[in-house]
This record gives sequence, C-alpha cells and structure tokens, in this order.
Amino acid sequence: MSYQSYVIAAYGVFAVVLLWDFVAPRIEIARQLRAARLRAARRTSRAAESELTRTDSERQVSE
Amino acid sequence: MNPIVRWFHQLGSPPYFDRFAARWAPVAYVLAILVMAYGLWAALFQVPADYQQGDSFRILYIHVPSAWMSMFVFGLMAFYAAIALVWRIKLCEILAMACAPIGAAFTVITLATGSIWGKPMWGTWWDWDPRLTTELILLFLYLGIIGLYNAIEDRRAAARAAGLLAIVGVALLPVIRYSVVWWNSLHQGQTISVFGQSQMDASMLPPLFAMIAATKLWFIGSLLARARADNLRREAGKDWVLRLAKPEAAR
Amino acid sequence: MMRSAASALIARDFRLLWRRRGDALQPALFALLVVVLFALALGGEARALERVAAPVLWLAVLLAGLLALDTLFRGDAEDGSLEQWMLAPVPLSWLVLVRTFMHWATTALPLLVATPLLGELLHLPRDQLPVLLASLALGTPLLSLLGAVVAALTVGMRRSGILVALLALPLYVPVLVFGAGSVAVAAQGLDAAGPLLLLGAGLVLALVLAPLAAAAAIRIAMS
Repeated sequence: MSYQSYVIAAYGVFAVVLLWDFVAPRIEIARQLRAARLRAARRTSRAAESELTRTDSERQVSE
Repeated sequence: MNPIVRWFHQLGSPPYFDRFAARWAPVAYVLAILVMAYGLWAALFQVPADYQQGDSFRILYIHVPSAWMSMFVFGLMAFYAAIALVWRIKLCEILAMACAPIGAAFTVITLATGSIWGKPMWGTWWDWDPRLTTELILLFLYLGIIGLYNAIEDRRAAARAAGLLAIVGVALLPVIRYSVVWWNSLHQGQTISVFGQSQMDASMLPPLFAMIAATKLWFIGSLLARARADNLRREAGKDWVLRLAKPEAAR
Repeated sequence: MMRSAASALIARDFRLLWRRRGDALQPALFALLVVVLFALALGGEARALERVAAPVLWLAVLLAGLLALDTLFRGDAEDGSLEQWMLAPVPLSWLVLVRTFMHWATTALPLLVATPLLGELLHLPRDQLPVLLASLALGTPLLSLLGAVVAALTVGMRRSGILVALLALPLYVPVLVFGAGSVAVAAQGLDAAGPLLLLGAGLVLALVLAPLAAAAAIRIAMS
C-alpha cells in the first residue's frame, strides 16, 4: 500500500494550518494600522475646518 | 527595583509591548522555521520506515507535537486567564485570548493528521478512540472560548468571561478525558491503541524532539503577533497608535 | 439571613412560575418531541428501539434542559434584579444556588416524572428503569449546575443561541457518559454503582463550585 499520499496529505494540512496562523495576525495588524491612519486623517481634516470657522467668527465679532 | 520585575511592569505598557512583540515575533518565527526544516527533513528522509506501519508512521512527527501543543496551550491559556482574573492585568487578558486560536489550530492539525493516519491503519477515517474523542471535545472548548470572546462587546469583560471559561475547562479536562476513556472501555471492548506505547528506537527520536521544539517556537512567535494585533485593537484611539501608523504626519 | 433570602427567592420563583404554569411543561414537551422524532427516524420497531431507549431518553432530557437554560437568569437580567442580587447582603453564589435549584425543580423534575412514560414509548426494558431514573436524578441537577455557569457567562447577550450549546457541550460530556453509561453497565448485568457514585461525587463538587463560578461570571458580565 502506498502511504505516500497519506503522508503528503498530513504534512500538507500541517503547512496550510500554520500558514493561516501566520497570515491572520498580520492581516489584523495591517487593518488596525490602516484604521488608525484613516482616523488621523479625519482628525487633521476636522481640525483644519474648525480653524477656518473660528477665524471667521472672530473677524465678525471684532467688526 | 529588580530588573526582571521592572521588565514585567514595562511589558504592561501597551506601546512598550507593541515594540517588544514587533521585535521578537519574527525572531521566534525564523528560529521555528529553521528547527522545523531540520525536523521535517529528518522525519521524511532520514528516519527509516517503521517495519509495521511503513512510511505512514512519519505522520507521527506532526501528530504528536501538535497534540502536545494543543494541551499545553490550553493550560497556558488558563494560567494567563487566572492571572488576568485575579490581578486584572490587561496584558495577561490579551495573552490568554491570543492563545486560543493557536491552540485551536494545533487541535485541528491533531485531529486531521490523526484521521489521515488512521485511514491506512484502521481502515476508517474516524474512530471513537478516547484520544481523538477528547481532542474533538478540546476543539469545541477552544471554539467556545473564541466564540464567547468575540460575542461580548467590551473587550475586557469579554476576555475575563472567556478566561473564566478557560479555567473551568482546564479543571474539567481531566474529568472529560477520564470519562471518555471509561466510556471507550465500556463500549469498544478492546483497547488496542495504534498510536500506542510502541517503543521508539532511539534513532527515531531526534526529529520528534526537533518538531516539539519547533512548534513551541512557532507558538511563541504566533502568540506575540496575535497579542500585538489585539493590543492595537484595544488601544485604537490612542496617540501612540496614530504615531505608529503615520510617523511622518504625527503631531 | 441566608435562609430568609432563600425562602423569599423560592416563594417569588414559585409565584412567577404559577402565573405561567404552562411554561413548566415545555421541557417535558420538548423531550417528548425528541423521543417521537427518534422513534420515527429509527423505524419504530421494538427491537431496534429498546437497544437505544435509555441513551435516547438521556439525550432528550439533556437537550430539553439545554433549551430551558435560557430562562435561568434572563428574566432577572432584563428587569434589573440581577444587579440587586450583586448588592444583596447574602453571597451571590447562595442566590445562584437557590435559583438553580428552583430551575431544576421546575424544569427537570417534570422530566423525571415523565421518563417512565417516555420509556414506554421507546420500549425501554423494565429492569433498566430504576438505574435510568437514578442516573437522571443525579445527572440532571449536575447538568443544571454546569448549565448555570454557562448561562451566567452569556447573561445579557441578546442572541446567544448556539453559543450556549457550544459552551455547554464539552462540560456536559462527562455527565452524559457516566449517566447513559451507568444504564449500559446495568444492561450488561454488571453493577452500576461505579458510574452512579461518580455522578454523585460530581454533583457534590458542583454544588459547591458551580455557584461560585457562576457568581464570578455574573460579576464579569454585569461589570
């Protein structure tokens, strides 16, 4: 009986599962960092907007 | 302060842990792959075939280390969970929950390789052998812990609830194992274990030791990587994460 | 203090149960359903059924209990009583124990009473009935106590559904093994005292430890 296919299958399962175990946290870390980058971008754009309105209202008050 | 104690305290700081994990996870992975390369090569090409089981016994070099890891990781998870519950240490919560998917992965490997090995040996893909049955129940425990952790909104309460389940599980695991062994002897009659106590010749041991060491190193790498990911998720709004993501635009 | 708290809780649970008497029969009804489905699936022939009667009955009781677990803490979690429990001067684990006892009395006892009847439907051999009832009498409180820990872990979750079953299954395995196994042992003509005593020992341990674990879980869930 050829055991080769069974051995290949078993070692293959080992490789596939460990590959998943390696990739999954990397994907998660990349996702978290990307979300943080987007959050930072939203924060700076919001800060830029509110600066404008503050200057506008100050000008109105002083006039 | 004692440098080791100080290092433990430093690890509790999320940005410090992130740098630590980012630095050491790749080291662990590389070491694991190196040792695994030797182990797998030796298991496949160096060790002579078993006179009884032929080449299929080479599956042992994957099956046994994975089975041991599935048990070891569960115990470690319960240990971290106990520390997290008693002392409310956030890092231990993270580490405990990071253990679960890795342990589940090793359990899946154990079940799959056990099944694949069983086909040429017993002629069937599945047998309600006490070891495989206990391993299957262990998989359910892992999946339950992962499911419970993901089902609760608040990360800290979720980790503590799943951690409590892990502790209950580790306490019951010997009971489950004993009950399944008893059940097997009751119904199956014969207790010939194919993976059993056959004496291994000394020449067949080195790849086994290598694979045991390799899976442990791999676990360390994976634990650090997953803990780093969970750490980032929990600290999502903080400044240090923003600085990490966008070092050039940081204010 | 503890006795008055217990009697107050028991009286309240009885009153609430009395107002919805029909609910108490639901687990028994579900067990009947399971038995009917098994009989239909197995072909209804007496010889096939009597071999599996005891295990099927054990499964029917176990699954019915699993379904009833939802009601253990849900009512009190929803109306805020659970938080009052945490603030009470009596230990939370004591209240959990009393509540679990009441839950067992109202959901599992009717099942125990119904078992001989259900046994007849499955052609259960008469001489297996005493061991079956003994194993259920020891096993169902054990299942309730283990189930209380799982229910406490998932309290406050709106759709826990299959998660409760997934969490409970590994914990239930030893109980099922020794419970159904005791009847199998008796059927082989051997002494069933071994597994029954193990169930008893497990019950004693669970009486002490399960309420503590469930109380810790409630504290975590309500934090």
